[in-house]
Amino acid sequence: RSFSSQTDGEARVTRVLREKFPRASAIKVVDISGGCGAMYEIHIESEEFREKRTVQQHQMVNQALSEEIKNMHGLRIFTSTPK
Amino acid sequence: MSVVVRAAWRLGAAAVRGRAGRPLSQAATSGGEAEGGGGSGSREAVERLVREHPVVVFMKGSPEQPLCGFSNAVVQILRLHGVEDYRAHDVLQDPDLRQGIKNYSNWPTIPQVYLNGEFVGGCDILLQMHQNGDLVEELKKLGIRSALLDAEKDQDKK
Repeated sequence: RSFSSQTDGEARVTRVLREKFPRASAIKVVDISGGCGAMYEIHIESEEFREKRTVQQHQMVNQALSEEIKNMHGLRIFTSTPK
Repeated sequence: MSVVVRAAWRLGAAAVRGRAGRPLSQAATSGGEAEGGGGSGSREAVERLVREHPVVVFMKGSPEQPLCGFSNAVVQILRLHGVEDYRAHDVLQDPDLRQGIKNYSNWPTIPQVYLNGEFVGGCDILLQMHQNGDLVEELKKLGIRSALLDAEKDQDKK
């Protein structure tokens, strides 16, 4: 999906992630609730995740989005480190 | 990826496309009650539950009837590995537990999987562990032999 067709929710979540993960090399946020802002799928690749267990990496994303998450029904998180 | 694992991945992905539950924020309003003492959502109560069995799952619905796609995915993955003997707690039956388990693990979503009393993650993490072989290893540490090991052996024989 091109950047220009992001929903407001996707844009907001992406913005928060960019702020909280300044070293992220790739961030992709997709509203998987059909644009309702109820459920998001988040892909984020960052050096900040290196050497951390997956659950810790996901925890970092949860903390970063703690405010946004309050308004979501659910979210899926996929973290990775740059090759 | 072996046929079994690929099929399992499709199962996991399809299982996730279940119905949405209540907003995560709703569970936060457990009436302003203090968590101390013996409430079902207290730290002590949750601690007791996660230590009850090597495999403990907090989910929506039950293994026989999951009420959420993500919870269903966890149940299906465990079933694939032949893990049918585990403790499952339906958080929809107990709002205090629903909030308590989120506070305990500092994790905002359900389902939550605990292995040997330790929080492992939710549906996405379990799916990842299933796909990359980590789940077989973690089960082995608990003295549980994954059914997939036998399935692969049978495949090799053919």
